[in-house]
Amino acid sequence: MISVKSISKNFGDVKVLKNVSCDIKKGEKVVIIGPSGSGKSTLLRCMNLLEKPTGGEVWLEDKMITSADPYLHPELVLESATAKKLIAAGMESGAAADKIIAEKLLKKNEGRAFAAALSAYNAQNTIPLNLARQKMGMVFQHFNLFNNLTIMDNLTLAPVELKLKTKAEAKEKAEELLERIGLTDKANEYPSRLSGGQKQRIAIIRALAMEPEVMLFDEPTSALDPELVGEVLSVMRSLADEGMTMVVVTHEMNFAKNVATRVMFMADGVIAEEGTPEQIFTDPRHPRTRQFLHSVLNKD
Amino acid sequence: MFFENLSEIFTTPKYLDIFFNGLKLTFIISVGAAILGLFLGVIVALVKLTPKENKAMAIPRLICDVYITIVRGTPMALQLFIMAFVILTIRGFPQEITAIIAFGINSGAYVAENIRAGILSVDIGQTEAGRSLGLSSRITMTKIVIPQAIKNVIPAIGNELIALIKETSIVTMIGMQDLTAAAKNVGAGNNLASYFAPMVVAALFYLAIVYALTFAIKLIERRLRASDKR
Ligand SMILES: Nc1ncnc2c1ncn2[C@@H]1O[C@H](COP(=O)(O)OP(=O)(O)OP(=O)(O)O)[C@@H](O)[C@H]1O
Ligand SMILES: [Mg+2]
Repeated sequence: MISVKSISKNFGDVKVLKNVSCDIKKGEKVVIIGPSGSGKSTLLRCMNLLEKPTGGEVWLEDKMITSADPYLHPELVLESATAKKLIAAGMESGAAADKIIAEKLLKKNEGRAFAAALSAYNAQNTIPLNLARQKMGMVFQHFNLFNNLTIMDNLTLAPVELKLKTKAEAKEKAEELLERIGLTDKANEYPSRLSGGQKQRIAIIRALAMEPEVMLFDEPTSALDPELVGEVLSVMRSLADEGMTMVVVTHEMNFAKNVATRVMFMADGVIAEEGTPEQIFTDPRHPRTRQFLHSVLNKD
Repeated sequence: MFFENLSEIFTTPKYLDIFFNGLKLTFIISVGAAILGLFLGVIVALVKLTPKENKAMAIPRLICDVYITIVRGTPMALQLFIMAFVILTIRGFPQEITAIIAFGINSGAYVAENIRAGILSVDIGQTEAGRSLGLSSRITMTKIVIPQAIKNVIPAIGNELIALIKETSIVTMIGMQDLTAAAKNVGAGNNLASYFAPMVVAALFYLAIVYALTFAIKLIERRLRASDKR
């Protein structure tokens, strides 16, 4: 469903993601855990390009959301002026591509053939960003409901503006979703009148109103009072039961144990370890994973 | 003496005429400059808000930066003189046009900064939520960010308009007969030969205009607040 290929992300000189790759398959529930500052949010936000990766590619099914990273395509690199020079000098094409990729020389003056090959590849494989985002719902730590709109308008704005639904259809869908989370009576309220738990449940169904193929959650319960966490997690659990593909950054270890099909542990900008929840929680291999689980599980 | 002068002003057609024409000129310059300033301000703010990565807008952004720096870093009177004696009036443009352009350009810089600050004050999470649903940046801006920014921007722009109206009085320095000049004219030796009463009359006119504007802004603010019931 989502393929992250060798992405890196720098904020200035700080390398927040270092050559991270992962594949999210249809129906998977992937939970990302790890210490603060390890790059979990950044990885998640790179998946729908709220952060633009510094290098690498992100794919949604068979289409690319980023533009092509030439270093991931030896066949394109061979079109570059530098590669042609190396081959003319007697180097084999595979070795020439490898050499350039290794040296990351590809910046400028690589010739028309290379530019044409690159833009042809992009034209053939990229999907418009806004279209890709329609298929990827996102839920934020701080809810981010539209403060100037009623709950109903929060739910119907995007489907109607993007002409996916008529106003009446969008409203019907919104009512159905509100009923599902038991907040039908809040349809005409403004977000400021809702509790945190209610806001986050609305934020989840706002994303669902777009009928996405995958849902991304960035610490959806971290800003909530403890007694409100349960209601949000139960909506997420029911979503998982329906077969939604989910990627969840969270500190809720019970959710990870019970719902995840795969757990990724991030540290220092890389995925240090991944596996089934059983494996990660009972038999962590990486010392950082052990240390992290020790500190969070003993806190509970 | 003061009250006699006051009643003379309001009973002498000549003095009433001078005041009426002054008021008209102040009004024309203020309204013209406000319209030009708002127009310029919106455009400059939008240009300055384009993302840094958008290289095509790098030069317009630089121009807008230079514009704001110059306008805010030099006195209004000097800007008016340059417009009159170097650029426009000297080439035969009517003085009203000169004044409208000079004050409009000045006001535009302040309006732009107000609008920009208002838009930036809206939580970035609102934009991210809009974009994550697949909405374009234009729709996110018009349906989500700008409606929330307006509440912050209206009072600031109101204050800018009030400052503008009062500032137009420096057109007297290039010999234009606005409301302030009218007071001076009526008070001069060949007319009333006393400045006190005409100055008070001019002050009352300014106060009335500013008061009316303040009231209108309050009304708009209240409307905006009522519409989102918060
Ligand atoms: N916009 C930004 N500008 C500069 N640095 C940033 C930015 N966003 C994140 N960072 C830095 O990148 C690093 C990783 O941040 P990220 O938010 O991905 O961590 P995280 O794993 O989600 O942590 P947390 O559990 O605290 O949310 C941090 O050191 C953070 O300070
Ligand atoms: Mg985070």
